[in-house]
Amino acid sequence: MSSRGGKQKKGNVTSEQEEEEQPLQAVLVADSFNRRFFPISKDQPRALLPLGNVAMIDYTLEFLTSTGVQETFVFCCWMSNKIKDHLLKSKWCRPTSPNVVHIITSDLYRSLGDVLRDVDAKNLVRNDFILVYGDVVSNIDVSQALQEHRHRRKVDKNISVMTMVFKESSPGHKSRCEEDDVIVAMDSKSKRVLHYQKTQGLKKLQFPMNIFQHGSDEFEIRHDLLDCHISICSPQVAELFTDNFDYQTRNDFVRGILVNEEILGNQIHLYVTQDGYGARVSNLQMYDSVSSDMVRRWVYPLTPEANFTDQQGQGCTHSRHNVYRGAEVSLGHGSQMEENVLIGRDTSIGANCHISNSVIGNNCTIGDNVVLDRAHMWNNVHISSNVEIHQSVVCDGAVVKEAVHLNKQCVLAYNVVIGPNLSLPDGTVVSMHHPEEEEEDDDDEFLSDDQEVGHSKDKTRQKAFQLEVLGTLQRGLEENIVCDNLVLEINSLKYAYNITLKEVMQILTRVVLEYPFQQQGTQLTTLQYTGSLLPTWSPVFKNYIKRAQDHLDCLSAVEELFLEQDTHQTAMVKVLMKMYQLEILEEEAILKWFSTGATNDKSRQLRKNQGVSTTLQSLYITARKALCGERDCFPVRRTSVCGTVRPVQTPGLNTEVFLSSSAPEVYPVVERSRG
Amino acid sequence: MELQAVLMAAGGGSRMMDLTYNTRKPLLPVGNKPLIWYPLNLLERVGFEEVIVITTKEVQKMISTDPKMKLDVKMKLDIVCIQEDADMGTADALRHIQQKIKTDILVVSCDLITDAALHEVVDLFRAHNATLSMLMSKAHEFTETVPGQKGKKKTGEQRDFVGVDGTGKRLLFMANEADLDKGLVIRKSIMRKLPRMHIKTGLVDAHLYCLKKSVVDFLADNKSVSSIRGELVPYLVRKQFSKSMTSPNVNDEADQKLKKKDGNANLEIQILSRDEVLLQLTRERSCWNDHRGDMSEAYHGVRLRCYVHIMDEGMCYRVNTLAAYIEANRLAPKLFDEPAVHPSAAISVRCLIGADSIIGASCQISDKASIKRSMIGASTTVREKVKVTNSIIMHGVTIEEGCNIQGSVICSNTVIGRGADIKYCLVGSAQRIEPEAERTNEVIVGTDQLMEI
Repeated sequence: MSSRGGKQKKGNVTSEQEEEEQPLQAVLVADSFNRRFFPISKDQPRALLPLGNVAMIDYTLEFLTSTGVQETFVFCCWMSNKIKDHLLKSKWCRPTSPNVVHIITSDLYRSLGDVLRDVDAKNLVRNDFILVYGDVVSNIDVSQALQEHRHRRKVDKNISVMTMVFKESSPGHKSRCEEDDVIVAMDSKSKRVLHYQKTQGLKKLQFPMNIFQHGSDEFEIRHDLLDCHISICSPQVAELFTDNFDYQTRNDFVRGILVNEEILGNQIHLYVTQDGYGARVSNLQMYDSVSSDMVRRWVYPLTPEANFTDQQGQGCTHSRHNVYRGAEVSLGHGSQMEENVLIGRDTSIGANCHISNSVIGNNCTIGDNVVLDRAHMWNNVHISSNVEIHQSVVCDGAVVKEAVHLNKQCVLAYNVVIGPNLSLPDGTVVSMHHPEEEEEDDDDEFLSDDQEVGHSKDKTRQKAFQLEVLGTLQRGLEENIVCDNLVLEINSLKYAYNITLKEVMQILTRVVLEYPFQQQGTQLTTLQYTGSLLPTWSPVFKNYIKRAQDHLDCLSAVEELFLEQDTHQTAMVKVLMKMYQLEILEEEAILKWFSTGATNDKSRQLRKNQGVSTTLQSLYITARKALCGERDCFPVRRTSVCGTVRPVQTPGLNTEVFLSSSAPEVYPVVERSRG
Repeated sequence: MELQAVLMAAGGGSRMMDLTYNTRKPLLPVGNKPLIWYPLNLLERVGFEEVIVITTKEVQKMISTDPKMKLDVKMKLDIVCIQEDADMGTADALRHIQQKIKTDILVVSCDLITDAALHEVVDLFRAHNATLSMLMSKAHEFTETVPGQKGKKKTGEQRDFVGVDGTGKRLLFMANEADLDKGLVIRKSIMRKLPRMHIKTGLVDAHLYCLKKSVVDFLADNKSVSSIRGELVPYLVRKQFSKSMTSPNVNDEADQKLKKKDGNANLEIQILSRDEVLLQLTRERSCWNDHRGDMSEAYHGVRLRCYVHIMDEGMCYRVNTLAAYIEANRLAPKLFDEPAVHPSAAISVRCLIGADSIIGASCQISDKASIKRSMIGASTTVREKVKVTNSIIMHGVTIEEGCNIQGSVICSNTVIGRGADIKYCLVGSAQRIEPEAERTNEVIVGTDQLMEI
């Protein structure tokens, strides 16, 4: 008996040991599933963008390896081949690597949720694993957090499913991302997360009372936490993602777990570190701050001169004031590298340059009298003389010609040639990709709900949809149905016919504007027409017209219709006025449309119509008064700008370069009409 | 004089009516001393020489006439009487004595028994030039069985939520669970300034407050506030983050303008603790700051600041319920070192008195009596073979032979008949328990008292 008991005991011990000895695994998601870095991310996946002349994914892998991860699954979607090539060449795929990297690619991943569901389907993880994005830069030692996590799971029998790693940092710290600001309510003793909420755009923070009814008498509400986007997950996390197919992001997951805590009995804990560095490069703002932190050695031991990627020729020297120089760097007479400057190999800098707080990539050439401050220049960039660049990103292969002035927060995407003698206003993004392509073939975007994926050029389907909408609206008028219900019906039709939101709006506009003709024939006078227009459907309209782009789409639909119905062109002014008064359209949008959209003779004719211009003139004045809005922050602006594109002729360049600029330049046409 | 002490001793003890029907709360005997002695002693220990005592006529009379209620304190007591039936709150009482108040004040309630280091509270008040600083303590579990209460104590009591900053000193938030039906709402701007907030429940407010003089002046102008704890403190805590308090330069001109505008704003401005010019200059030139992170000035320009000292250990009781009263009696003897048995008590040699018992003046304890963990008041007679355990016997009680009294409270001048067995009862004053009675878990009071309720 006794020997048997002993054996059993031994067996237990070995199984425990096995559990301990199982290699630590990590899931690295090398796709952001959003388009914060558009248009840069169009040419290069975000994980491969250089930060301090090293691809971001290398930082993440180095972080994982240094915390003891022995097996990493890298999930790629957008431009998976590039990531794969990069990894295969890197030190991670050498046979000596302590961290075995498996690369899993699929075009079907559309969110973090899809990745984890795939993890579950393929049964990849056997034990607790670390979940990170491919753009996390960190030197936090998570072994302590891991230990706490395992201990909790042992004691509480698999109740805790996730431990999120946070870094303490006061609000307003520049490595805190505005979009990622969270407020966390936690139990002080057990470190359990009770409430988790993103705070962007909130004024008041509300905590439901039931979170305080767990027997503890001490809680903490913390706003001094920086989300490092590093989470230690139990294997159940993957299963939970499979069970809840609507979870897209980690945010969904955390909120779902917290809300259903009583039903599922799962809990989430957090680990807060005081020292260490952890940040996710989630937008250009963060890129700027993380890059400067890197050069200022906050991420030690991951410093530029450490060459942890172990690539030949990547090494550089570190001298006073955090000036790093790669091999074969030449510096012209009188040039100064003030502080926090990193220069890659084979880069040559001309005379009398002034460089501070900047990162310059490999093989760049910089002319004379150049001023660089907080500039991030990637590889093979050519900068001519007398150029000034402030807080901007210049991507691979870009050419900046003489006397170009880049103001703050500009982005020159891949292979852009710009100049000479040009000054770009704040926040300009220049790219070889037409902004309108965005919606069509950018696979990076799946997250936002209002963005429609998938296209149908099928005219017959649109026609059928149009008839259905007409029928719905007619019935709504006859039976006096509430507009909310109409919206609901149109929405369901939209799905039934697989129609995009943009098309819905255009068709809706068309149907409503054609309605009087259909009812009373085309021999209507203008007055009669406008009188019977838009009876009760304005709420329906408002529901679909929300973003700036929607306004423009609606306007172009109106324009299209009136180009067909040339007899009633005079009515258009009335229509516009009416829509403006009903607050369906904003004056800004109307003005924008007026000044930019003229594509052919006919529409130009339409615009010249006396009524249109006078109406717009009055609108313009009101708009001027109202136009004192603050500017969005760096990364967000790009989307608001996409509607106002005008081609810029650049000498010596065959490809058209599209320059999008910010709002104040939009009104030159109107200005002329006033004068 | 830096602080004037104000002792609030006019409360009726509405949460323990059975006890306070005949003896007013300030005079309830705890460890054979009237309850009011404890806060007075606390103030005397830290060096106060003068106290303003706000109380009722009745209590004043008892203090001055009844030798049993003699307070052996050396401080000068300035007793102010208020009318009992006027239904005055604590803030009303402060308003009543506004003329007497020349400096900042320290308000103490008469039912506080604590060994807290008072200077901690006052130091917070001084160090941060605070408008309010107060004392709190971790709530204690009452272990003793409460007489006349059947079953467990109700747990459905509403908790107080107290929010303090990361250091645990600054008071940021205060609300009762009952008022939070929409959930706990905090403005984001507060969280940005003070990003780490500890929310604590299970704290006892000791009802000890340091208040700026300007607050008393504010009370004088603002007659709608009637209670310190109920209205004034939450108001001050809230006001810390209201806009008018944070604006950096409310100069006199603006003051006057506001005065013209509306009376209300004027009142608010009066309670600003206006930092002296030198003090402000020091703060500007000093590198000291109360927070980290953003580079804004200390306290973010907030000039009304509330602080709280939370006791981690030590005792702190507010004797406002029967359970607290019993607990206080059990622990109070540890607070002072006086002989447990009064020298004037006549105690038979052949009786048994536990070391944790207190015998009052001129008691008579007869042979074979056994007294354990109890307090016997003055002039009480305990006859032969009486067993008293875990009980509180007030003054003038007569316990006849062979009685067994356990876990009970016997109020003054009661006679307990021979051989009675009383367990976990509350016996009101001047009652007469028949011989051989067996009572368990009852509240025995006179019929007149019942009518009252």
